[in-house]
Order: sequence, then C-alpha cells, then structure tokens
Amino acid sequence: MGAILTTDRLTKNFGGLTAVNDVSFSLEQGEILGLIGPNGAGKTTLINLISGAFPPSKGTITFEGRDITRDKAHTVNTLGIARTFQVVRIFSRLTALENVLAAMVDRKHKGPWSLVWDSFFRRACALTEDKESCATADSLLDFVGISKYRDEQAGNMPYALTKRLEIARALATQPKLLLLDEPSSGLNPAELTGQIDLIQKINAQGTSILIIEHVMKVIMGISHRLIVLHYGEKIAEGEPEKVYNDPLVVEAYLGGDSDAQH
Amino acid sequence: MDSLFLQQVLNGLITGSVYSLIAIGLTMIFGVMKISNFAQGDYSMVGAYTAVFVMAWVGGWLGWIGSVVAAAAVVGLLGVVTERLVFRPLMTRWTDIDMIMVSIGLFILLDNLAQLFFGATPRMIGDPFGGTTVNLGVASTSLLRLFCFFFAGVTIFCLELFLNRSRMGVAIRATSQNRFAAQLMGIDINQVYRITFGVGALLAGVGGVLYGTLFAIYPTMGALPTLKAFAVTILGGMGNIRGAIWGGLILGVAEALGGNYIAMEYKQAIGFFIIILVLLVKPSGLFGRKEGA
Amino acid sequence: MSARLRNILLWIVALAVLILIPFVVEDRYFMHIAVMAGIFTILTLSWNLLAGYTGQLNLGHAAFYGIGAYTSAILAMQTGLSPWLGLFAGGLVAAVFGLMLGFPALRLSGPYLAITTIGFAEILRLVAMNWVDLTRGSLGLSGVPLLTPIKIGDFTMQFYFERDYYYVVVAGVLFTLFCIRRLIGSEFGVTLQAMRDDEAGAQSIGINPSSYKLAVFTISAFFAGFAGGLFAHFARLVSPELLALHNTFDILTMAMIGGLGTIAGPILGAVSLTILSEALRSMEEVLKIDIRLIVYGLLLILTILFMREGLVGVIKNVWARVKGDR
Repeated sequence: MGAILTTDRLTKNFGGLTAVNDVSFSLEQGEILGLIGPNGAGKTTLINLISGAFPPSKGTITFEGRDITRDKAHTVNTLGIARTFQVVRIFSRLTALENVLAAMVDRKHKGPWSLVWDSFFRRACALTEDKESCATADSLLDFVGISKYRDEQAGNMPYALTKRLEIARALATQPKLLLLDEPSSGLNPAELTGQIDLIQKINAQGTSILIIEHVMKVIMGISHRLIVLHYGEKIAEGEPEKVYNDPLVVEAYLGGDSDAQH
Repeated sequence: MDSLFLQQVLNGLITGSVYSLIAIGLTMIFGVMKISNFAQGDYSMVGAYTAVFVMAWVGGWLGWIGSVVAAAAVVGLLGVVTERLVFRPLMTRWTDIDMIMVSIGLFILLDNLAQLFFGATPRMIGDPFGGTTVNLGVASTSLLRLFCFFFAGVTIFCLELFLNRSRMGVAIRATSQNRFAAQLMGIDINQVYRITFGVGALLAGVGGVLYGTLFAIYPTMGALPTLKAFAVTILGGMGNIRGAIWGGLILGVAEALGGNYIAMEYKQAIGFFIIILVLLVKPSGLFGRKEGA
Repeated sequence: MSARLRNILLWIVALAVLILIPFVVEDRYFMHIAVMAGIFTILTLSWNLLAGYTGQLNLGHAAFYGIGAYTSAILAMQTGLSPWLGLFAGGLVAAVFGLMLGFPALRLSGPYLAITTIGFAEILRLVAMNWVDLTRGSLGLSGVPLLTPIKIGDFTMQFYFERDYYYVVVAGVLFTLFCIRRLIGSEFGVTLQAMRDDEAGAQSIGINPSSYKLAVFTISAFFAGFAGGLFAHFARLVSPELLALHNTFDILTMAMIGGLGTIAGPILGAVSLTILSEALRSMEEVLKIDIRLIVYGLLLILTILFMREGLVGVIKNVWARVKGDR
C-alpha cells in the first residue's frame, strides 16, 4: 500500500501570521490519520489547504500521484477528496435527502449545461422522484443513522445530526479520502460511541480518512497514526500511544491553553 | 493647454465636489452599517425641495445659506426616522439582498411621494448673486458655482472635524473599523447607527441643495445622485471617506471631459463605464481595502 | 386521490379557466392588462431564477427585456424574419448579453453587482437612445409587425386583437413555467439551491459556482428577451423606455411581494400587482392623483419587514392553520 496523499513542506501565511509552517506528511491508502494539536495550531488551515479552499503559500500537495496544490475546492472534490467542516456547512433550506442528492451528481463529467440538458431530456420527472438516486441517498442517510430526518429541512435538524448529514453528503461524492474536521464536537458520550463506529465503518469500506479531533477518546480509539501540530509546525508523528507520551507533545498541550478533553 | 480643457476641468471639479458630498454620506452609512442605501439620492431631492421652499420665503444669499441649514436639519431628521423605521428592524437579520431591496422600496416611495406633493414641474433655485461671473484667469465660472464648491469643501471639513474630534465621531469611526470590538468597548451601537444615518442623510441633503443649484429640481431627480454616489463610492472603495472625496472629483472631471471630448450623449454613462472597468480590474474599488481581514 | 392525480386535475382546471377568461370578459382593455400581466410574469419568473435561486441581485434585467424586444422587432422589420422565430431570436440575443454580463458579475456581489448591472442597463439604454439608424432613437420603433397568422388545415388563427395575444402570452407563460419548473426540480436546480444556501459547502461537493452562475445568468436573460419579443409584437412599439430602471424595480417588487425563491411567488406577485395597479388607476379618477407607485414602494418595504416569505408564505401559513384546525 502506498501513500494516497502527500504534502511536501506545506506553508500558509495570512499576512504576518504563519498558520501552517513547513508541514510534510503522507497518508497511506486505507489509513485513519489523526491530526491533533492545541487550538490555533493550524489543523483546520491544513485541511483547508488540502481541500483547495485556498492555495498554500509554499509547498506542494500530491493526491494519487497528481499535483493538486493549485486546484480549486470543486476540482479537488471531483478527484476524490471530500470533507466536512468544523462549523457545519449544510444546505439549510434543502431537505436532508436533497442535501445528499445534490452531492451525488457526477460532477466530474457533468457541468451546468449538461445538467440543463438532462433536466429536459433525460430525467422523466423531478429529481426527488427519481427512484434509483433516492434509494442510494436513502441508504446513505441510513448508514449515518439519520433516515428519520429524510424529509426534514436540514436547517431544522438538531446540530449533532447535521454533522452526520455532512458526513453523508461527503460520502455521496464517493471519496477515496475523507477529511473530517472535528466530527465529534458537541456530541454527548453516548453519541461519541456511535460516531466512532461510524468512522470505522466508513474506513472499513476502503475510504482513507484524515481526522481532526479534540476528543481524545475518539482520536486515540480510531487513529492508526497521529500527527501533532503546534503553532503550525509538525512536532510529532507516529503511533497514537507513542505520540501521546512524547514529551514535546505533552509540553505543547500543557504549555499552551489545553482544551483537550480526556 | 487650451482654455476649454481647463474650463471643463474646473466645471468638473465643481460638479465633482457635490458628488463627493453626497457619496460621503453613502459611504459612511455603508462603512458603519453595511447598508447600501439606494434612497440616498432621494435625500438629496428632499434637500433640494427644502431649498426651493426656503428660497421662496427668504430670498438672496441669506436665503441660500438658510436653505442649506434647513435642508441639513430636515433631511438629517428624515434620515434618523427612516433608519429607525425601515433599516433598524433589519439590522439583526439582514442579507445584502434584503437591505438593497428595502432601500429600493424607500426610493420608489420617496420618489413618488415627491411627485404627489411637489408636482412634476421642474423648479430652479434662483441665483442669489444675480449671475455674477468670476474670471480665474485661465477659466471662468459663476460666483454661485464657486460658492457651491466652497460650501462642499466646508461641509466636508466640518465632517472631518466631527469624525476626528468629537466622541461620537470617534465612536462612528471605531464602529466602522470593527463593529464587534466597538460594542465591547461600551459604545452604544444603536446610537452610533442613528447618528451615522442622520449625518449620512444630512450630507446628501446639503449635497442636494448644491446639486439643485447646479442642475434642475424635479421629483424623480433622486435617481441620478444615487447612481452617481454609488459610482463614486465604488470608485473610492465602499466605506472609505477619503476615497469618496477623490472619487467624486474624478467622476466630475471625467464626465466634464468625456461629455465634451468624447460624446455628450453618453455623459451620464461615463461613471458606469469607469466603475465597470475598475471593478473588472480590482473588485474592491480603486482605493478599496481588501474585504475581510 | 393520489397527489399526482390531484396535481394534474389542478392543472387542467387552471388551464380551462385561463382559456375561458376571454369568453367571459370581452373587454379589450382588460385583455390588454392580462397580456401585460403575462409578460411581467415571465420577466419576474426569470429574474427570480437568478435572485431567488442563486442569490444574485441583477438590477439590469430590463436590459434583457429591451434587447429581446429590439432584436425581434428589428429582425422582423428589416429582414422579414417570421416574428415567431423572432421571439426566440430575441431570447437568444438576450442570452448572449446575459453571458457577457455574467462574466464580470461572477466576481461581484451585493452593492457592487447591483450597481454594475444597473450600469449595464443604463449604458444599453443610452445606446438605444443614440443609435438612431438602427433604433430610431427615443422615438422608438413603431409599426412592428404583428405575429403572422397560423394555418391549421382550414382554420386560420389571426393575431390581431388583444384576445389573440392573450392566448400567445398564456402559452409563453406556460412554456416559461414548464422550463423553469423542470430546471428547478432537477439536479441543476438542487445545485443552485445548494450554492445559495452555502457556497463553500457546495464547492466541497464538487460544484463550481462560477459556471453555474454564468449558466443561470444566460438562462434568465433568455426568458427576459423572450418576454421582450412578445411585448414588441403585441405593443408594436419598442422604445428605449423598455430598458429603464423602473421596469426592473417593478419586476423585483413583484418577485418580492409574491415570494422570492419560489415558483408560485413570481406568478402571484406579477398578477396581483398588475390587478392592484389597475384598481389604483381607476381610483385615480376619484383621488385625482396617481398613487400606484407609492403603494408599490410601501408594499415592497412592508413585505421585506413583515412578510419576508411574500404572499406564498402567507398562503402557506394560512393553509397550515386551516389544516391544523380540522
């Protein structure tokens, strides 16, 4: 198994602030890689860089052997990387089902005009009446455990469940790599167990995962390896137990304002 | 340089100073409240009509100055009232579209109320100086137009004093830079909104008297100052007062020169040509700061 | 009764009513109003496609209306092209302009977009005023040909009276409605709504917002141009006035009052405001003043302040309450 994603000396400056500094790492095919670090360590910035939300100041990102450093977010997604957001970005006026349906469109091959064509000449009736697509979408909603909210406007769903909807939406684009930005924040202990199960189920289907997480119980339980960022720099990398006891990491967490939940 | 050119530049600067005045009101309101007020030109229209009535009552240059003061008071009050009734309720749940649309509603309303009250006949503000012209060597202009230029300058100077020296002025600038931090500093944000809107409208009102002195006054005249003010504001960067001053002068001169040397028919569109060009190159305006951050 | 069957029945009833109206009301003036209501319905539907479904405020929509009208009129008058084809040619030329405006508009939002689109329309209006050779300037083009008669077997349908045009416009509205419903209900429509709700979220599932915005700009312009063509052959007079800002303001008022971002809203808004404005016009004889636009402005403000969802929202709420009581 080779690396699916590699970053080489990735750096991002915002004005005078260096949010990510010279970070190189690779993510193996089928791996769950945990990304931890104190608040403001640059974790979300790193995910934003990989997902193409903005370009890095320096360094390169390679995905499946292809240089995606300068690719925009939508291109990155069509290449096989999907993500969730720290603060959910669901489509609040669409139903849960429609959120997933919107993500199922084959956007690699279909631009706006071919969808316009489709809407007149291919589909027999409205999208939500398309049995095949809906079945797939339903199974995804079921997979993340929110089928109850199928026809609910996403904006009216409980917050914890919108995080799951976001995961379902990301999965609907059939990613090879999934970037999860704090999927467990705001969940109660019972929900946490469910969340761990879910992430492991996703991984078991062959999807590689990069996950940012503050909840130690989750990150220690599921990560195959961990990377620790501190002030934008990578200070440790390796097996969870080893990293967790690394003196540098301990100092980073104790020295900074730690909000790790044990 | 030939004197026609300089003459046009002078004319342009005079008109431009009035554009600046109206645009500063617009840009202040945008800077502090993030409202794009399409009714701004109607405040100018109300100011101009106030002048018509005052001048009919007290003539001469005393009447002219009196009408500037009256317009400032009337339109300032109108600004405070519309802020409270129309814009304030939207401040907590606004979107760009809502704010622009509600101001368009206000624009349509004021425009047509004016037709109802003032009739469609165009009015003029009489020249208190009896058409005296001033020769400046290379170019000449009427004393009245020079007076307009001077008055626009004085008003802008007073505004600068207000913004830099008074407590409220400083609070307004602070809010414009960072609304959240200003609130944390204990600034009464609603008071800031009220005063900002009042002052912003007042400037348009004073500008309206000057505009009405230079051009004709009619109920639907508000559209032009609104569009000019927007062009100026975008040119200078939304929320940027200095930018609006320069933007106004640039637009005034560009219109005067373009109208004379390129095509008179397209004079009113020159502002649009300029802003479309500027926005294509630099979406945040000529003097605009980068958005966000 | 299944929802589908009920829907079909509803459509049949609505269509029957629309077809029968001219037999009940024979007044030519009323028919004239109905035609204009139909044209504004198309304009409002197309404007709403852009504003309501992608959140982009185009204040230059009247320009597309004018472009369509001029194109169709000029083609019919100078090349003798069948006005029927001219309607679509008007739409296509407007669409090309829509694409042109769409490119700079991509990078702009809020006030920047609003003022750029106004500028676009104003510049084109001045072109229409001053390109006298082509447009006859502010006089406008008069004597635009009528729609040519259609022959089906022995039966010939003439297009001469308001009533004839009423049917054409009803067909035009249904055509527009059909297309827009199709678009909104499809993957394309879901994509638009996704972008409107959260652009970054949309990008994260592979949506390229720019290309969709361009497409919608183009489609929206097409239907406005189509409406312009209908107007040209109906009114037989095309003037620069068509491109004026107040037409766009009428359109957006109708869309807002009806309900932004819905399909029923623009129809409801266009029809009810046209009726209202006629009612106010008849009151003018009593009041001696024209309060039509005062009411428009007031309604627009009140809608945004107190019923953001428009008439459609009000009807929905009332309906929910009635249902709840049972």
